[in-house]
Amino acid sequence: MKEQITLALTKGSRALVPSLSLLADIGVEPLEDISSSRKLVFPTNQENLRLMILRGMDVATYVEHGIADLGMAGNDVLLEHGGGGYYEPLDLGILKCQVMVAGLADEGVLPPRLRIATKFVNIAKRYYAEKGAQVDIIKLYGAMELAPVTGLAHRIVDIVETGDTLKANGLVPMDFIVDISTRLIVNKISLKTRFAELQPLIEALEKATS
Amino acid sequence: MDIVDRWLLPDGIEDILPEEARKLELMRRKLLDQFDSWGYEYVIPPMVEFLDSLLTGTGHDLDLKTFKVTDLVSGRMMGIRADMTPQVARMDAHSLNRPGPVRLCYSGTALHSQADNMLASRTPIKVGAELFGDTGPGGDLEIVSLMIESLRAVQVEAINIELGDVSIFRYLIELTDLDQRSQDVLFGLVQRKAMAELATVLSDLELEPGLASMLVALPGLCGDESVLEKSRQMFTDHPQILARLDNLIWITQALRERFADIEFYYDLSELRGYNYHTGIVFAAYVGKSGAAVAKGGRYDHVGEVFGRARGATGFDIQLNQLAREVGVMPIAPMRVLATPNEGATEASRWQFIRSLREQGYTVVESGELPGSFDFELVFQDTEWQLRPVDPS
Repeated sequence: MKEQITLALTKGSRALVPSLSLLADIGVEPLEDISSSRKLVFPTNQENLRLMILRGMDVATYVEHGIADLGMAGNDVLLEHGGGGYYEPLDLGILKCQVMVAGLADEGVLPPRLRIATKFVNIAKRYYAEKGAQVDIIKLYGAMELAPVTGLAHRIVDIVETGDTLKANGLVPMDFIVDISTRLIVNKISLKTRFAELQPLIEALEKATS
Repeated sequence: MDIVDRWLLPDGIEDILPEEARKLELMRRKLLDQFDSWGYEYVIPPMVEFLDSLLTGTGHDLDLKTFKVTDLVSGRMMGIRADMTPQVARMDAHSLNRPGPVRLCYSGTALHSQADNMLASRTPIKVGAELFGDTGPGGDLEIVSLMIESLRAVQVEAINIELGDVSIFRYLIELTDLDQRSQDVLFGLVQRKAMAELATVLSDLELEPGLASMLVALPGLCGDESVLEKSRQMFTDHPQILARLDNLIWITQALRERFADIEFYYDLSELRGYNYHTGIVFAAYVGKSGAAVAKGGRYDHVGEVFGRARGATGFDIQLNQLAREVGVMPIAPMRVLATPNEGATEASRWQFIRSLREQGYTVVESGELPGSFDFELVFQDTEWQLRPVDPS
């Protein structure tokens, strides 16, 4: 028997629910309820396809190394991961948001060299390098909004969906960096060596999202 | 450095221990024997040379990968080779300078300052073959065939061969007349097959619609042989591209007849080595994990900087990676322990040991039983004999 195709999905109900509903549209259903299980690998109603539930950044890593053949991850994660080893053939058009620069509404006069707090270190570095601005980056893992409020950083680079969290902390969105949505990624070697198995799945997803 | 850290090796640098090293060396010899029987002459390029000659015509990627040191004799920069192909091209163009086709092969360790990926070795052991002075499809057919036969010579099963041609993208991108920055953006998008973004960027660039639609379609031109026919119809107004496709079709048909049981995959947007490749590019993926163990392609202009533009095509095999994918272990010879023992003259004992070694036994003169020994040398009933070792 041929090895199963592995599709890696981003965990957390915010990402998982729309990904699973997209899969349901093309007739792929997990055989058990993912949200109530502690397992990480799930069989589906398609005999040759299984799902793997990972953190976003790990989706990129598992697909890069070919452990997973396919993956669904936001392009914020892909831009930050920066690895090669996979194709990004489809924009699945779900989980749309933006990466933006934000700061205090009344930030006053700032020094020429800013401190930027973010979890997207690479995206922030690239953005400011292209702007020609020298900044210091502080890597944080959560609660970015706190950084400008407490004086840890002057501004933040973060995901903005509705802007409510920013507003609640006295912050305002300032500069747009990039549009985010979930992408389908495919390991390069998997596509080359298992094209006949993967192509129908990619085409079905393409139809379902167009 | 703490004493416990003294054994630590740098990232991507590895020891190859006896069992693996034996396998690797046997594979290396088989590959070189194979090359020899195809008329490829063995050369030994130097470990280091001046950076200028190492990097000309190869592009930025190799520059980043090359370790650099100052030559205290000349004051010039030297590089430790990250790839042997430019060195062999230099030998052909300058050191040998023979008329007609020249076939060269080599093996050795390269050094990468940055690994290809997180898990790759920074000291890849490469075995490769290059054919110079042949610009026709026959040369490419020969090189791809040699790659397949070489992998088979080391008992590789389940080989997938990928074929592409970088000159198709190059032709299209030159038609666009875009600046370098936009070209780089398009290159990145095509290489990632990021179709949606590619379409957006192309419409922003306001290219001629026919040209834009060809560029958008390019990443999708991958799959089995039917892709070639599909591409022929798409590029019907572009004789230059049709010529490249016909070249690929000709090679494919010949390969099919030669290797009926191998799977071929085509990708016209595979742009590996775009900086120096000028035509067909190919790679071999083997084993369950589909590791890319051998890669190559045509690079007709590299010799130009050494004073001689010649047709050139070739490939190299990454031996450390190949050894991981191939399970077959060479059969270890019978091992004999011959500790000094009484009973006969040293001369007769020595003669016996020599004859054993000639017959292919491995004989060592000190060790402990049972160890990994199959036999023990003893003098019994007036003659030297091999007594089987009880493994318990």
